[in-house]
Amino acid sequence: MSLTRRDFLIGSAAVAAGASVSTPFFLPKYHFDRRPKRSRVAVLRAEQYDQQLGRIVEEGLRLFPMNVRGKTVVLKPNLVDYLPGNAINTHPMLVVAAAEAFRRLGAKSVVVAEGPGHQRDTQLVLSQSGYQESLREEKIRFVDLNRDELIRTPLRASYTGMKELWLPRTVLEADFLVSMPKIKTHHWSGVTLAMKNMFGIVPGSRYGWPKNILHWKGIQESILDLCATVPIHFVIADGIMAMEGNGPLNGTPRPLGSIVLADDPVAADATCARLMGFDPSRTVHVREGARFLGNADLGHIDEAGDTVKPPTTPFHVVPEFQNLYAL
Amino acid sequence: MGVSDLFEELIRRQLPCGGWSALVSSAQPALEPTCYSLLALGSHATDVHDRAKGFLLRAQNPNGSWPVFVGDDLDGSWVTSLVTIALRDIVPAIPARLKALHWLLSNAGKEGNWFWKWKFRTADRHVRFDPDKFGWPWFPDTVSWVVPTAFAILALNQLPCSCGGFELAPSRVDRGVEMLMDRACPGGGWNAGNGLVYGSAVAPHPDDTAIALLAFRDRPQDPVVKTSVDYLERTSPAVAAPWSLAWAILSLAAHRRPITSLRNALLALPDLFYIEDTSTLALVCLALDHEHALANLGVSL
Repeated sequence: MSLTRRDFLIGSAAVAAGASVSTPFFLPKYHFDRRPKRSRVAVLRAEQYDQQLGRIVEEGLRLFPMNVRGKTVVLKPNLVDYLPGNAINTHPMLVVAAAEAFRRLGAKSVVVAEGPGHQRDTQLVLSQSGYQESLREEKIRFVDLNRDELIRTPLRASYTGMKELWLPRTVLEADFLVSMPKIKTHHWSGVTLAMKNMFGIVPGSRYGWPKNILHWKGIQESILDLCATVPIHFVIADGIMAMEGNGPLNGTPRPLGSIVLADDPVAADATCARLMGFDPSRTVHVREGARFLGNADLGHIDEAGDTVKPPTTPFHVVPEFQNLYAL
Repeated sequence: MGVSDLFEELIRRQLPCGGWSALVSSAQPALEPTCYSLLALGSHATDVHDRAKGFLLRAQNPNGSWPVFVGDDLDGSWVTSLVTIALRDIVPAIPARLKALHWLLSNAGKEGNWFWKWKFRTADRHVRFDPDKFGWPWFPDTVSWVVPTAFAILALNQLPCSCGGFELAPSRVDRGVEMLMDRACPGGGWNAGNGLVYGSAVAPHPDDTAIALLAFRDRPQDPVVKTSVDYLERTSPAVAAPWSLAWAILSLAAHRRPITSLRNALLALPDLFYIEDTSTLALVCLALDHEHALANLGVSL
């Protein structure tokens, strides 16, 4: 087999790209600093998905000095696929509880929006996972981000090397974007939390299922570029029943009994990582995000609600991510 | 609400430019819903058909491919196969289709390159697949996936001969068929294209399975095909979503399995008329007129 100059360049670029994933980012790839002086996180106890969630979430939101009155609120859950018995998706009862709470806080409208990354039939996932019925009962609109109108959007950081992405209008025009991840381990990225949840805004109709371009450009890098470009205003993470092991689809359900609220996605992810028994600085996108997107350092995070305590037994991860464990 | 009302609703959603948008709430003309709508309405409304055809021909990229939506980048995408199928039997579209098929032959999954083959064989082996067996990506410069490969096979199979610059077509189709077989889930059926990840079987999806099986209409005796048809027939009665159910009806009909109860189940789904996703509405119309639909897709019964 002959080696052409083009092949050589492809090979060299790939080796360089591979190296960039495993080594720290030495040069800044962002041009702004969005970190608040202090971030606030609340860990709320919730042992199960039941009618108490509405009260728990509303009381939790009142711990934050937010004003959503008259605003368009977009709730972005993690909705990937449905496998009976697997804790893959953000539970619909938590999403409905959040929607009702934001309505009571005076939001002009509350929309649930997601673009599943694995299953092309969004309505099938909605139906199987219980979303369709729950959203219909509460008259909450759902927007399929895989098929929404698209706007060419310049990226506000340069970790992937991509200049722009086509992103959905519903998300770009939201006044208040709430990332609602499921707390899970992930076999490619270590964890999938509030920041990784933003993969769901990348439209499948344009980039395919799964959103393969983000894997080729680097998962950690893509997370950073997306979060730099589309700010997450608030996080409500579903850790009532989390997932460990071979996530995001085939992991094992792990009861954590917690909902994590935060006004900063980096602080949210760092807190969730600590709840899972991980050192947040071992996750590349959390560590790098803490340089310009939010706070991961406990010295800059105010804790409301329960005190964050690592579990007696950390979450299981696939062998490649054993380095996540706190020393 | 009758079947004809669904067709009327589809006609009503056509945009002034002749195309259809993905969601009824959007005005951005997109190629996938336009193709399904054209296939569904072909014999129902001549004026609608002519405007849709004109829209598709105007939307073609200079390199012969088609974009995902009007205004998209000019690199091309998987919908090129679908447009080629939708413009089947339209004589003035022949030059455009030939150009598109040339583009399809020049486009391959990235794992076809020696370097990525090497990477997937040595350093990146958590997803079980054979990188020698490649098909087509969703868009250029990424790896092969099931749905774009199945549509590319359907499109290339419509070539009357492998001559006139299409000499590579049979081998690319064969390679694509091998890739689909390789990416099947362990118990039959397909998902996006990851059958086994980190040693765990990943579940198949009804729609991906149905689309892949359309490309295998002429291989009913193949064990992978038989197992996958069985999977689709077994799981479809429990599917309560119109997109997947419609694809299942088309595919099972192509493989001569009974579809009457599935058709009734599709018609009984609530709110069909109000489906926001126009591709799904068009697919429902196609499934309710499956013989005509399969003929238009180039799948012989």
